Amino acid sequence: MSPSENIEKLIRKLHYETSAETHDRVFGNVMLALEKQQKQKAGVIKPDLWRMIMKTKITKLAAAAVIIAAVLVGILQLGGNGTNAVYASVVEQLHYARTMTYSIMTHTPVESMPTLRQQMAFKEPGYMRTTTADGYITVIDWNQNKGITLLPPKREYIDFEASNYQHDPAQDPFRVVEKLRNLPDEADEVLGEKEIDGRLLQGFRVTQGDMINTVWIDSQTEQLVRVEIEYANSPGMNTIMTDFQFNIELDDSLFSLAPTEGYTPMEVKADISTVTEEDLIAYLQMWSTWTKDGTFPPTFNPIELPKVTAEMIKQGKFGEGETSQQQQQAEAMQMYRGIMFVTQLPAESNWRYAGENVKYGDNQTPIFWYQPAGSQTYRVIYGDLSVKDVPPEDLPD
Amino acid sequence: MLEDRLLLWKFKHGSKDAFRAIYEKYAGDMLTLAGNLLDDKAGAEDVVQDVFIKLVESVGTFHLTGNLKSYLATCVANRSRDYIRSRIRQRNVIAKQAEKTPAETKSTVHLAIRSEELAKLSNALGELPYEQRETIVLRLHGDLRFRQIAKMQNVSTKTAQSRYRYGLDKLRSTLNGEVKK
Repeated sequence: MSPSENIEKLIRKLHYETSAETHDRVFGNVMLALEKQQKQKAGVIKPDLWRMIMKTKITKLAAAAVIIAAVLVGILQLGGNGTNAVYASVVEQLHYARTMTYSIMTHTPVESMPTLRQQMAFKEPGYMRTTTADGYITVIDWNQNKGITLLPPKREYIDFEASNYQHDPAQDPFRVVEKLRNLPDEADEVLGEKEIDGRLLQGFRVTQGDMINTVWIDSQTEQLVRVEIEYANSPGMNTIMTDFQFNIELDDSLFSLAPTEGYTPMEVKADISTVTEEDLIAYLQMWSTWTKDGTFPPTFNPIELPKVTAEMIKQGKFGEGETSQQQQQAEAMQMYRGIMFVTQLPAESNWRYAGENVKYGDNQTPIFWYQPAGSQTYRVIYGDLSVKDVPPEDLPD
Repeated sequence: MLEDRLLLWKFKHGSKDAFRAIYEKYAGDMLTLAGNLLDDKAGAEDVVQDVFIKLVESVGTFHLTGNLKSYLATCVANRSRDYIRSRIRQRNVIAKQAEKTPAETKSTVHLAIRSEELAKLSNALGELPYEQRETIVLRLHGDLRFRQIAKMQNVSTKTAQSRYRYGLDKLRSTLNGEVKK
């Protein structure tokens, strides 16, 4: 073995395996313990209740869908206040659902950021379609990790890969969902009944970190009617989900990845297949010139970024100044290329972003690192935007 | 991440399928982790079984704060330490058994080694001081961060990183030495 060979790679190859018999025996012993455990519990939910949802790659659903799932999971967890029947009914509705549709509306207090309205549709196993109010359509097939966005104004489309985000809790694009995952076992507050849009609804409120969830259920029909999410750290911003429908017929063609006839591939001024580390660095530098204090973007999380940006605008953290339309376009393209560099990195690159609150010029603080394909070392970008090759054991923890 | 949490939640509410999914997802990794920690394949099987039984027994009160793989890896590491302590207490019995039949040949669990180099590496790993071996195995097979390993070992992060480096250096020099021979 030559010294240069990567011993870590070899160690990772030291796998143990076992016969099917042994595997069955161990699992059988564990199941015996499980059965013993379950006999001691009363009123458990029938296992087959979960059959449908088990088939769904829930982690891969779009954030908004997972929010619904997590909120509903939270609903069941509320329990203990005489409303279990309502909860159970709603959860069962979700669990048996082969399809689900709803509307989602996100409002920010920033005047320049209009309220975003979208229709969401899901179909097992792992198909998602979003339609914006102005007709932009995105379809993602999580089984193939592929997606397509249709842009009606110019009859263009964009194909994209959907699998490049890692599931690290600190960097996970579904971080908003992570905030919901630890909903308490009981609601903070039972809101009682309230008439909304002509329907008498029963409300429950659960606060989780900076996220305040209000869930409205029609106690007569036991239908989930409305979910409202407010963000304590972003006053004035909220998300409202309504128009829930379960198990309606959704034709497979709605989730086709084929572009609509007559649509052409969107011409991107820059070929994103050629984006490089330099594009990321240029984006980071550009952002640091936008902020008054010279800090880098707080996050690369595509869901968090618009919210955080809106809040930063509101707090006056960006500098003033006129820019020409040409310059704006150039900056938008640079931003696009920088973000695309990151989104195109495979999960195996183990990329991490740690630039929040770091100011440009800080040559001691790593703000981004990733492992290029085939490389034994990581590329680490520091706060002064210098880059070094660093062995894995010397990475920031 | 979320998938694990949903599986756990469903398991908590009675779904055996959810537990089976968790088991099938992580049992293999945990077996590899325990096998490399203990260098005792039968023991690895016991440890992994114990860890999953513990998970079953505690599911009612269990509250996952990190990721499930890290949690299970930490449990395997702790249980492996217990196992080693227990093995030391019974070392005379174990030694006699080992003389008669190596654990590897008795157990149905075996190292999936397909090259002489990996066999040497496995032996060399078994020769490392336990703390170094544990650090390397938890880092590379358990995907734990140095901070998590340090916390478990009750040392500083720097110490955990040093153990990792020293361990790798030793493995490298051991293997190189063998090749030169």
